[in-house]
Amino acid sequence: MSYTNEQVAHLVEGTLDWETTFRMLSMPKDNSRFAQYVEALQKKVSFKDRIVLPLGPHMYIVQSAKTKQWLIKCDCGHEFCDYRQNWKLHAAIYVRDTEEAMAEVYPKLMAPDTQWQVYREYYCPTCGVMHDVEAPTPWYPVIHDFEPDIEAFYKDWVGLPVPERAA
Amino acid sequence: MTVATSSIQVLGIDAGGTMTDTFFVRDDGRFVVGKAQSNPGDESLAIYNSSVDALAHWDRNVDDVYPELVTCVYSGTAMLNRVLMRKGLDVGLICNKGFEQVHTMGRALQSYLGYALEDRIHLNTHRYDEPLVPVSRTRGVTERTDVQGRVVIPLREDEVRAATKELVEAGSKAIVICLLQSHKNEKSEQRARDIVKEELKKLGVDIPVFASVDYYPSRKESHRMNTTILEAYGAEPSRQTLKKVSDRFKKHGAKFDLRVMATHGGTISWKAKELARTIVSGPIGGVIGSKLLGEALGDENIACSDIGGTSFDVALITKGSFAIKSDPDMARLVLSLPLVAMDSVGAGAGSFVRLDPYSKSLKLGPDSAGYRVGTCWPESGLDTVSVSDCHVVLGYLNPNNFLGGAIKLDVQRARDHIKVQIADPLGLSVEDAAAGVIELLDLTLSEYLRANISAKGYNPAEFTCFSYGGAGPVHTYGYTEGVGFKDVVVPAWAAGFSAFGCACADFEYRYDKSVDLGLPQTASDADKAKACCTLQEAWSELAAKVIDEFVINGFKAEDVMLIPGYKMQYMGQLNDLEIVSPVSSAGTADDWNRIVDAFENTYGRVYASSARSPELGFSITGAIMRGTVATQKPVLPEDPDAGPTPPPEARLGTRPFYRHKKWVDAVIWKMESLKAGNRIVGPAIIESDATTFVVPDGFETTIDKHRLFHLKEVK
Repeated sequence: MSYTNEQVAHLVEGTLDWETTFRMLSMPKDNSRFAQYVEALQKKVSFKDRIVLPLGPHMYIVQSAKTKQWLIKCDCGHEFCDYRQNWKLHAAIYVRDTEEAMAEVYPKLMAPDTQWQVYREYYCPTCGVMHDVEAPTPWYPVIHDFEPDIEAFYKDWVGLPVPERAA
Repeated sequence: MTVATSSIQVLGIDAGGTMTDTFFVRDDGRFVVGKAQSNPGDESLAIYNSSVDALAHWDRNVDDVYPELVTCVYSGTAMLNRVLMRKGLDVGLICNKGFEQVHTMGRALQSYLGYALEDRIHLNTHRYDEPLVPVSRTRGVTERTDVQGRVVIPLREDEVRAATKELVEAGSKAIVICLLQSHKNEKSEQRARDIVKEELKKLGVDIPVFASVDYYPSRKESHRMNTTILEAYGAEPSRQTLKKVSDRFKKHGAKFDLRVMATHGGTISWKAKELARTIVSGPIGGVIGSKLLGEALGDENIACSDIGGTSFDVALITKGSFAIKSDPDMARLVLSLPLVAMDSVGAGAGSFVRLDPYSKSLKLGPDSAGYRVGTCWPESGLDTVSVSDCHVVLGYLNPNNFLGGAIKLDVQRARDHIKVQIADPLGLSVEDAAAGVIELLDLTLSEYLRANISAKGYNPAEFTCFSYGGAGPVHTYGYTEGVGFKDVVVPAWAAGFSAFGCACADFEYRYDKSVDLGLPQTASDADKAKACCTLQEAWSELAAKVIDEFVINGFKAEDVMLIPGYKMQYMGQLNDLEIVSPVSSAGTADDWNRIVDAFENTYGRVYASSARSPELGFSITGAIMRGTVATQKPVLPEDPDAGPTPPPEARLGTRPFYRHKKWVDAVIWKMESLKAGNRIVGPAIIESDATTFVVPDGFETTIDKHRLFHLKEVK
């Protein structure tokens, strides 16, 4: 039950044929998938830093090629922060908290009341790609999505050596 | 010799996805099975090749046999493939305004139809297929008929005219009209149909118009819409395929009129108006064949089991009749077509076998090797173990005589793959790992079979199990062991059984219409008579359609035997029962009483007499009309009893065979050389070109005068 690197690359691109995708979805995950997946991602990015864990469609935790520090990094090469910090605090933020701003993304009367709910959009300050959208109540602090336990993930889940990390 | 004098009258065709089977029957009941690789580009060629293959056994050729035939029935996957591959006509759809997306949404459940349970509950795998009609060729028109059939908003005719024009401009090659509740009140839809026709005439465009009331006037909007679309989308192109088949027959001198197996279990002409109902036909043939055999053997309760490469299909015949499902799903579409009820599980002889890397448990399917057999066939290009590989390793199958020696199997290659993929990770020997796979499959199938019978409230001891399909006889012992059937029957022509069954089917049209009749137990005679009149109205309407179909084939109205039926339930209950009407026409209170009695008798038989609940009142939910004309059917062979000892020339030798943790020498018999009355005690393997029948130790089989093997356990 394994797939070729080419198939995994198609999976990453969203161009994998449905039959194979369906089989991947309904079968237990193959052992080598994570390594193949990361390899496919690595081929897509222009930087030399090693991808440790993908965080989103355009965002990764990488091991800096120079310092071996683990950083959160955008596709384009923009570095946000240390992997334990909340990258959103280093992003360009656009808050939709008026009816007019909501009307840009929803038809009239079909958007939330901004007194109850606002949209906070997080963009890369360098390339402008949207990384995330939150829909909290207006006063809610910026959400720190999660802090992955990468050591445990590598050692106990996918059975790979943990990449080196400078403090 | 009798060979020369017997004429060949009946031909059954099963054009499957990978093989095209033909089944010729002589008037003395002798038969031959032919096989050829299917040819999706030109089915008629595959049928021709398969015929040549079959007739070679009798030293006959196509040009002198085709003119002799009086009956020929086709079943195949042409229509189904056309739908699955979305290669139909560009259809335009007119529906109620606001309901333009209904077809695309497919009741949401179309996103997981045909999935195994574990995928059905796994939302990520749900997927909407491309709709048969895109929203861009769908137009809504203002109209509303309510659930009681009252027109609440009249049809806006100018919108229909505009829609017609737009659909033509969008490239529609046919127009389907399906309005809400039209089965209850057809007026608006018929009006829309007439306007569309007028408008097309004005535009000078000659394309067909399909109104759902003219085809499938049944409740459930998605089903009715899908079925009518299917008719427009797939039927005409499929008719071309069938015409090609018919033309090739004609070219070789055939005089018969080609018929096609339909979902309701009868056969219809390829010229029939409603061809959508030929979408599934192959597996139904087996059920029809079982019914005919059951009648010959005096068995009225039969469990039909068909095991092919990818799936295991089960259908039940109770008291001599099979159940009909009125809103089945096929090709991932909900449809309102009467379909012979069948249950399938996605495990077959070609299923792939894999090991779950985490739980180390074996998993069969859901995908299968299909015609590529398994890794034992080096040319297959496969490297995943299939069930067939396990069979080859354990000596069930003859590696040198697979499909009559058409392909050679490599036992060592299969062994190597089983060792690496299954045996080593489990710490087992190759034999035990392979035997484990077979046991798992047998257990899966027998549990499924048992559950299917007992879940419907029956006792397996009252059933005879018929086992057929290309791979059926290999597994028969495995999935019937311990279930406790009255008898287990394997026809010698198991591999061509579906084709045989098709040849057994009646020339029969069936039309259904939803009706809503409800009467309390204590209804007055006047109300009963009135209800009968409504039912009769529906019957008359359907009878006219049935007769129309036969007239296309040159029959006269008086040649047609009409069989009215109805669907009835206790008021408020959810499941209706289909009943053959005890009255040929209905009009009086007395007729109503007889209709009710027939229902109550059936209810008592299917469930229990004590479960009958006449105090709830009775509803009729559907009117059914079937019409048949006489046709030539195959007769069963009748051989003289040759005693229990098989003739020595039937014995081909022995082969090592592994079961229950030991190798034994199984005697190999040639199926064609065995005579009626012969008794064979396991371990034995009975081989023919197309079928391998496994009789392990602890089992014995006898062959009867009809060339049916009866398998039983001996302890």
